[in-house]
Amino acid sequence: MSPTSPEAQHLVSLSGVTKTVHVGLRRRPVTILRGVDLAVEHGDVFGLIGPNGAGKTTTVKVLLGLMAPSGGSVDLRLRGLGAVGYLPENPYFYDYLSGREFLSFCARLFGLGAGERKARADRLLRDVGLEAAADVHLRKYSKGMLQRIGIAQALINDPHLVLLDEPMTGLDPIGRLEVKRIIQRLHDEGRTVLFNSHILADVEELCTRIAVMKGGRIVWGGTVAEALTDSPEGLEAFFMRVVGDERPGVSGDERARVPGGEPDEVAGDGQPEVAAGETPS
Amino acid sequence: MNQVAAIALNTFRETIRDRVLTVIVLFALVMIVAGLWLGSISLEQQGRMMKDFGLVAVTVFGVIVAAFIAATLVRKEVEKRTVFVLFSKPVSRAAFVVGKFLGLAATLAAVVGGMGLFLFVLTLLVGGGASGMVLVATALIYLQVLTVVAVVVFFSTVTSAILASMLGLGVFVAGQLSHNVLSLSRVGAGAITEAVSWVVFVVIPNFNAVDVKAAAVGEMTVDWGSVALWAGYLVAYMAVALAAASFVMRRKEF
Repeated sequence: MSPTSPEAQHLVSLSGVTKTVHVGLRRRPVTILRGVDLAVEHGDVFGLIGPNGAGKTTTVKVLLGLMAPSGGSVDLRLRGLGAVGYLPENPYFYDYLSGREFLSFCARLFGLGAGERKARADRLLRDVGLEAAADVHLRKYSKGMLQRIGIAQALINDPHLVLLDEPMTGLDPIGRLEVKRIIQRLHDEGRTVLFNSHILADVEELCTRIAVMKGGRIVWGGTVAEALTDSPEGLEAFFMRVVGDERPGVSGDERARVPGGEPDEVAGDGQPEVAAGETPS
Repeated sequence: MNQVAAIALNTFRETIRDRVLTVIVLFALVMIVAGLWLGSISLEQQGRMMKDFGLVAVTVFGVIVAAFIAATLVRKEVEKRTVFVLFSKPVSRAAFVVGKFLGLAATLAAVVGGMGLFLFVLTLLVGGGASGMVLVATALIYLQVLTVVAVVVFFSTVTSAILASMLGLGVFVAGQLSHNVLSLSRVGAGAITEAVSWVVFVVIPNFNAVDVKAAAVGEMTVDWGSVALWAGYLVAYMAVALAAASFVMRRKEF
């Protein structure tokens, strides 16, 4: 299975990555990642899915170098961050800057000259449909508009790899549709996209490959077609089979029916995980 | 260097457009004008009272703006994940800290400089003669305010925004009194007390040593050599605070 096999042409590859943080005054160790093996190939639209606290955001942060792994190895062939674009989950941008100023600021961080900054900002504003709001302060943007300007800033350096953390969260149907169109266009342009999402319908529609995370591990990886072969009723049903339904009354046997994975990997060991956004010490 | 300049310019734009800042500055200007009224009820002391009151207003409002805006700005970027956007680009943690500081320094130059200039013009028009010392005193107030910014930037890398602001204000107040610690320790104290006092004296910036407000209103003369020495000490203090903030940021995981 691709996420666990070290094949050639991988743009991103994580091998046995672990991450333990220490929280609270007593510096209690909490393991977030327990040996993540993941490979993303050039041109993929790769969906990283899993329940809350599975370790998806941490995996992306380790990939970007925002967190150092406790163990294992990270191979990002585009290590020079100039080739990577990133949109964090629910980001805050600068309230008193206009969309155009914000993009120009991001471009300047890559050392681009004034002419190039203007050209890229104009092009991206057009690409994400924000031309009309280019000179409006960001505090007046809707959530959907903020998400689109966030994607635009992730593309300011014309990256090969675009990492999007929950790009559809909190958006209304129109906002979701706009973001989906942008992701589809990035794919058509030959870029590699890796995104986290809880919205499985979007993952099914957009992704070429997926990996399912639970309890800090990848418990399934493969193409969307493979997943749908396993569960013809759809990706949601497949997901529920893989991660298990942890509601009271659902048996352990049902939870353990995992295609291509060990049952104990899926069940996890019950240790607490750090929720997204919790700051490790 | 390009990244530092970009972050500094961005910070300046973001803060100077903030309406809270506008309100604070307008209030400060009203307070400076209120010095006119105080002067009018002080027999033959109008100019002196106005300068005195005005320089205190410049100091107080400059420090308030420094403490609250610096803490909010840096902490907000960490808590609201804006730093993720920056650090996923070729921006070092030190560039972030220095860029934020320089942007705030530019904003405060506009705020403190603007208030000082307003006071200078006011004394020129109605205060019974302007004095260049008002501008010199304003410049040294600016130096103190910048030191508070550096301290607050450091604290906001390790604690919450409100606590960082309070600690910054605390350091400013303690800095007004730090020379007294040394004086007190010499009054019949033992060697250990004196040594501890020295440490406190060095760790807490001595703002009193660069305070020339009294000279600006003609109450005393200034030892410029000493002022220059202590101004250099404040610059070094800022450098240490920013280096410490960069160190903390570099070790921080987000």
